[in-house]
Amino acid sequence: MRNLLNFLIKYNYWLLFLALEAISFALLFHCNHYQESYFFNSANVVTGKVYELSGGISSYFHLKSVNRDLLDRNMELETKINNLEKSLKSDKVDSLDIVSLERLPRTSYYLYKANVINNSVNLTDNYITIDKGSLAGIRPEMGVVDANGVVGIVYQTSPHYSVVISVLNSKSNISCKIIGSNYFGSLKWDHSDSQHAYLEDLPRHAEFNLGDTIVTSGYSSVFPQGVMVGTVDDMGDSGNGLSYFLKIKLATDFGRVSDVRVIARRGYQEQKALESKSIITNE
Amino acid sequence: MNDWLRKIEWAVGLILLQVLILNNIHIGGFATPFLYVYFILKLSSDTPRNQQMLWAFCIGLAIDIFTNTLGMNAAAFVLMAFVRPTFLRLFTPRDTYDSYTPSKITMGTTPFVRYVIVCVLVHHMALLTIESFSFISFELLLLRIVLSAALTIICIFAIEWFRK
Repeated sequence: MRNLLNFLIKYNYWLLFLALEAISFALLFHCNHYQESYFFNSANVVTGKVYELSGGISSYFHLKSVNRDLLDRNMELETKINNLEKSLKSDKVDSLDIVSLERLPRTSYYLYKANVINNSVNLTDNYITIDKGSLAGIRPEMGVVDANGVVGIVYQTSPHYSVVISVLNSKSNISCKIIGSNYFGSLKWDHSDSQHAYLEDLPRHAEFNLGDTIVTSGYSSVFPQGVMVGTVDDMGDSGNGLSYFLKIKLATDFGRVSDVRVIARRGYQEQKALESKSIITNE
Repeated sequence: MNDWLRKIEWAVGLILLQVLILNNIHIGGFATPFLYVYFILKLSSDTPRNQQMLWAFCIGLAIDIFTNTLGMNAAAFVLMAFVRPTFLRLFTPRDTYDSYTPSKITMGTTPFVRYVIVCVLVHHMALLTIESFSFISFELLLLRIVLSAALTIICIFAIEWFRK
C-alpha cells in the first residue's frame, strides 16, 4: 500500500496528464456536436466580444475595396434608374394624365401611343406623320389626340407609319359641340393661323358664351364624344345668316405636337360597316 | 506574484495573437503557425510538470473555445507540456540543477534549436492528427505537419531574435 502510494506520489504528473487528456478528448468527442456546449463555443459573451472587436478593426482594412464595390453598385443602380425612367416615360399610355380625354368613359376606346415624326402648320393642307402604322393596329379614320386636345384623323397607313390629316387642313371636318348642350357643328380651318379654327353650322338658337369649351360630338365614327377641342374665342354669323360661325381657340398647340395617342373606338368597325351598308341601300 | 502576472499577460497575448491573426493564415492552404506553444517552450526549467500541464490545458482550452474545436488544442498542448521536461533534459548538455529559461544563450544554439523543433513537431503532429482524425490522406497530413511546424518555428525564432 505504501509502495503504491509512493508510486502514485512520484508519478502524479502521469495521473494529471492522463486526466487532462481524458478531459480534452471527452470535450472533443462530446461537446463539439452539442448545442449544450454553448458556453464553451465562440457564441459566448467573451469570445463574441473579442471577435466583434477584431471584426470591427479588420473591417477597416477592407474599406477601400468595399468603397469601390459600393461605387460600382451605385453606378449600376444609377444607370438602371435612368433606363427605368426612360422606359417609364415612354410607357405612359394610360389616359389618366391626358387632359383632353378626361371626359371619356374609359371602357369605350383603345389608345395607341405614337410619336410625331413629321409635322407642318403653315401649308394649306397640313399633314402629320406618326411612327406607328398598320402593324401596330392603326387604321385609317382613327382619331388622333395629344395631351391637350384633338390633333387630327388618320388618313393613310403603311406598316410602320401613318399620315394624319391635321385639324389644320382644308379637308379636315370634325363634328363638335359646345359642352353642356347638344348643339353641334363642324370644325373647319381657314388656312390662316395654327391656333384657331372655325365651327360652322351651329344653329342660331344655340346658347353659349364666349370661353365655352368645345368638345367632339361623337356623331362621327372617328372621335368618341367629349374629346377636348378648344374654347370659343369669338362669334359671328355665317354668310347665309342661318347659323353661327364661331372662332375656336384650339387647345392643341400644333407647333409642338410630339407625343400623341391614336384613339380606336370599340365598335368602330361595326358602326362603319352599318353606315356604308345603309348608304349603299339608299342609293 | 509579479511572475504570475507576467505569465498571464503572455498567455492572453499569445491566445489573442493566435485566434485573431495566426488562425487566419493558411499559406498554400496548408501551413498555419501555432505560435501559442511558445508559452510552454519558454517556461522555466524548474516549473513543476503539473503546473506546466495545467497552463497548457488552460491555454489550449481558451484557444479551442475561440475556434470551436473543443479539446483539440488542449489535448495536443497538454501532451507537449508533458514531454517537454524530458526533451529539455535530453538536450541540455550540462549536468546542472539550476533553473533556467530555455534560450539560445542558456542552452546553446544547437540544443535550443533541436529542443524547439522536437517540441513543436510533437505538438503539431498531435494537433493535426486529431484534427484530421484519420490517416486516409497521410501524405497531406504529413505535408501539413511539416509546413505548419516550419512556419511556427520560424515565428518562434523571429520572436527570440526580437526579444534579445
